[in-house]
Amino acid sequence: MGLLTVLKKMKQKEKEIRILMLGLDNAGKTTILKRFNGEPIDTISPTLGFNIKTLEHRGYKLNVWDVGGQKSLRSYWRNYFESTDGLIWVVDGADKRRLHDCGDELHKLLQEERLAGATLLVFANKQDLPGALSAEEIRDVLNLDSIKTHHWIIIKSSAVTSENLLTGVDWLIDDIAARIFTLD
Amino acid sequence: MSLVIKRNENETVNGKQIKHSQDISENVMTEEMLLKKGIVTPDDILKLPYITENYLCSPDANVYDIDFVRFKIRDLETGTVLFEIAKPSMPPGPEEGENEADSDDPDPNAGRFVRYQFTPQFLKLKTVGATVEFTVGSRPISNFRMIERHFFRDTLLKSFDFEFGFCIPNSSNTCEHIYHFPTLSSSLVSEMIAHPFETRSDSFYFVDGCLMMHNKADYAYDGGLTK
Repeated sequence: MGLLTVLKKMKQKEKEIRILMLGLDNAGKTTILKRFNGEPIDTISPTLGFNIKTLEHRGYKLNVWDVGGQKSLRSYWRNYFESTDGLIWVVDGADKRRLHDCGDELHKLLQEERLAGATLLVFANKQDLPGALSAEEIRDVLNLDSIKTHHWIIIKSSAVTSENLLTGVDWLIDDIAARIFTLD
Repeated sequence: MSLVIKRNENETVNGKQIKHSQDISENVMTEEMLLKKGIVTPDDILKLPYITENYLCSPDANVYDIDFVRFKIRDLETGTVLFEIAKPSMPPGPEEGENEADSDDPDPNAGRFVRYQFTPQFLKLKTVGATVEFTVGSRPISNFRMIERHFFRDTLLKSFDFEFGFCIPNSSNTCEHIYHFPTLSSSLVSEMIAHPFETRSDSFYFVDGCLMMHNKADYAYDGGLTK
């Protein structure tokens, strides 16, 4: 029994998944989190720290970390990388002006060693807004096809209507579970 | 790994007259031992078999200015908020050292204790979300951890251990734990309803493995019942 198998078994026992949700400020991270948890979304203010939710979903214990995306906070993101199984990158599909910044920040993250083992889910968010770019357009601008180091997917979403939030998270869990929990 | 606790038949519930030191295996800590020890660690706390009588650190131990500003409990089945308490948000003062109200505060432990009054219905809940919101002072915190233990008398109902990890200086943070209510026998539930405030909890907060804050709460579940 190799070390990896031992590690896999240890994780399987707890079935705990750590998900880190990042993105530029005002992308909708906290709204997604609240939607996922069935909380009202009418009073959301900028996150000046983190929001954590721990919940059970499909027999897994999910620990979801939403860390504020303001520029002054981004240098602290690295403090939350450790043990991350899944990374959710939230893109404001209507914020075309900052899409290149958004891509730069994402590609910086993907070079981080401590995120090397994480599955990446990109939400092309705010699809409820007129003029929001499609998932395909965002995929191009963010140059997602160049990502060879991580399992990834981009899904269009709307935190306001809840469109595809569960679909995205379920894909993420499936991918993580297949990597971490599946045994010989 | 054995954790054997032999108990005296006639000891009192509130623990003050308990003399169990020689009956306890080395895997158990007593409050007296911890009060002498100085630095209290998570491992120490996890070996405590009872609710504590005292606070295990002084209010001054909170050198990182961690401040709990909101607690909320909601029922996930109905989405109803069952309980919410928030500190009035204070506009930040222009200068430091303006907290003159602190100096003539008669009780140094004010703010470390909360009393909850629920109805019996509360004990029938299935899935509950408990939110805390806290702010952090101007220093970064590298590792913040919380251990919360709920007892009815000397029965441990629930122990909760969570590592927040890093906290950003001057940040405001929230954490909601969604959990299934522990299954309690109907006789225990009746006892808990019949004996208000004998359900109690200790919340311990650690920075880098040292106890920084200790808060307490007690609970009654007889709200709305005629006495």
